[in-house]
Amino acid sequence: MKRAVAEVQIIVARSIESTAPDPTSALRRLGSDARIEVLHSAAACRARCRDGSVDLIVAEAALGDECWKLLEEFGPKGPPVIVVNRDGNEYAALEAFKRGAADCVVAGDEFADVLPVVALEQIQRWRSAHDQDVAERRIRDLESYNQNIIQNLNSALLVVDLDGRIVFSNPPAEEILGESAETLRGRPIWPWFAGIPRDEIHVARTLETGERFKGLESTLTRADGTTVPIGISSAPVSDGAGNKLGAVAIFSDLTEIKLLRRKVLQTEKMASIGQLAAGIAHEINNPMGFIHANLFQMAEYLTDLRRAWDEVGALQAAVAGGDLADIQRSSEDLAAVSKEVDVAFVLSDFAKAIRESQEGSERIRHIVNDLRDFSHRDSEHPVLADINQFLDSTAGIVWPMMKHLVVLEKEYGDLPKVYCYPMQLQQVFMNLLVNAYQAIEERIADSGETGTIWLRTEPRSGGVAIIVKDTGAGIAAENLDRIFDPFFTTKKVGMGTGLGLSTCFNIVERHGGSLVAESEPGVATAFTVWLPGADLERCAD
Amino acid sequence: MRSGVAKGRPTLLIVDDEAQILSALKRSLRREGYEIVAVESAAAALRILDERCVDVILSDHKMPGMSGVQLLARAAEIRPDTVRMLITGWTHEIPAERLEEFGICALVTKPWDDAKLKATLREVMGTGQGSSPREGG
Repeated sequence: MKRAVAEVQIIVARSIESTAPDPTSALRRLGSDARIEVLHSAAACRARCRDGSVDLIVAEAALGDECWKLLEEFGPKGPPVIVVNRDGNEYAALEAFKRGAADCVVAGDEFADVLPVVALEQIQRWRSAHDQDVAERRIRDLESYNQNIIQNLNSALLVVDLDGRIVFSNPPAEEILGESAETLRGRPIWPWFAGIPRDEIHVARTLETGERFKGLESTLTRADGTTVPIGISSAPVSDGAGNKLGAVAIFSDLTEIKLLRRKVLQTEKMASIGQLAAGIAHEINNPMGFIHANLFQMAEYLTDLRRAWDEVGALQAAVAGGDLADIQRSSEDLAAVSKEVDVAFVLSDFAKAIRESQEGSERIRHIVNDLRDFSHRDSEHPVLADINQFLDSTAGIVWPMMKHLVVLEKEYGDLPKVYCYPMQLQQVFMNLLVNAYQAIEERIADSGETGTIWLRTEPRSGGVAIIVKDTGAGIAAENLDRIFDPFFTTKKVGMGTGLGLSTCFNIVERHGGSLVAESEPGVATAFTVWLPGADLERCAD
Repeated sequence: MRSGVAKGRPTLLIVDDEAQILSALKRSLRREGYEIVAVESAAAALRILDERCVDVILSDHKMPGMSGVQLLARAAEIRPDTVRMLITGWTHEIPAERLEEFGICALVTKPWDDAKLKATLREVMGTGQGSSPREGG
């Protein structure tokens, strides 16, 4: 920051008629680059000093009033003014000091030696004061700049010391924590993470191990017991020398994002259900169809049986009457009616109709249960589950809509259990299966061929892999990168929301897994879901 | 009775991959006086058509291996005189303007109404293939 003295700008204020020794020649000893200007009035000096580049003014006391004016002007704020006295008049020196002179020099025998030393000292003093001033102003500017940024940050910001006590908070932080800056300062942050083990609190880990976290989810609990889902990043804070001071945490309220995410998920689920509604309607339709027809038939059977039973009653009455001819006639009537209505067949088919109808209603009950499960909001917490079972039940739901075009090959491996949100996963499987079916449909249409969908599961890398492979139309290489983007679809209008695969991707990601697509158009397309096993990781969210 | 078919009970071939549907249809039509042949796949239906004359085919649509529409289209080639009817819950998948193209003369919606089904069958048996496609059910 310090400039070389060579760049020094000095003004010598001197009366035109002055006969005193010229300070200019004395000042030349400061070096050839010390630029010296001689001016003759306070006004000229004032004009020259306006740009702030002048480091020193050397004024002759002989200027009289002009000299006092100079002191008045520059005494208090600089640049420093050195007053040169013609003689050792102490009164004049005292007056000069009083009026703000930085120093006084007598233009005596040693003038040429003394002046440069005094000038240099003043210049350095002025420079260092000036530099400090500039530095302080810069620090103040920077501070208010930072303050501005921090105060206007949309995210909440907290700085804590090594013990986790709040050192600084910005307004969003105060809003989320539910308290003012004054009440926050000095308080430990741990109560806001109530219920979370210390070693799972990101800030605590940052303080302890220096770990940095970026955009992770957590929950804050306010003093009144309300909770706020947050996304939090934290990093250690240290001073210039590298000493640990604490941690800084930036976080934001995820309440709305969570709601939105849930809505999107629900929307996609509804879209999937819409897609499926026809399939399920059909599945219910078939049993409904035969139950409905059977009921009509059973009513007819009952009428037939009642006719025969009436004949039985008549025969009983005849037997009670004891008239042999009556008995004979009734018996013949009974035989005729029995033959006409085919009682033996009716009895056995009645039983069969009941049995089949029972099976049908059982099927409907099952379908309705599946559907209800599916439309239910998912559980808040992941559960330990058998993926094969979910995959199979999902395949069961979608199978009826595709069975005329598709051969389904299942190959389920022995899988470790997985922590998951069952309905979300079923939605993933259903989307993948319906996509596979639609791809096959697109390719073969009414050609009379059939396509194949392979459903395979296997243990892989400590988790489970679920592979849904089809012989459908396939995905062009240029689209393969985009299929997981929201709203990307190549389906005809009305056939897809474009959310299916992006939702699958999000769900699988939420489970800490991965979803990968490979396609060789015209040959086969495979989607592979990988989910971590229960002992690998509990799933996030 | 249509020409080309021997006098006697008309033959009705019903095709559905669900045994209970076949069973209920047989039950419904028991007293209609048809000789009913019930099979559970399009392939089995094609074998029957190869072997003998059938007056009416009433087929489901969504069946594994071959759909009802494909079966009826094939049947139209093998036995052009046969009356071809589709019975399905997926009627919206078969556009009315394409019924003829698929060789279908009537479309019955599942679940079916017994009385209407019987009436439609009687009508197609009586008038033969010449009539235009209609919706029954």
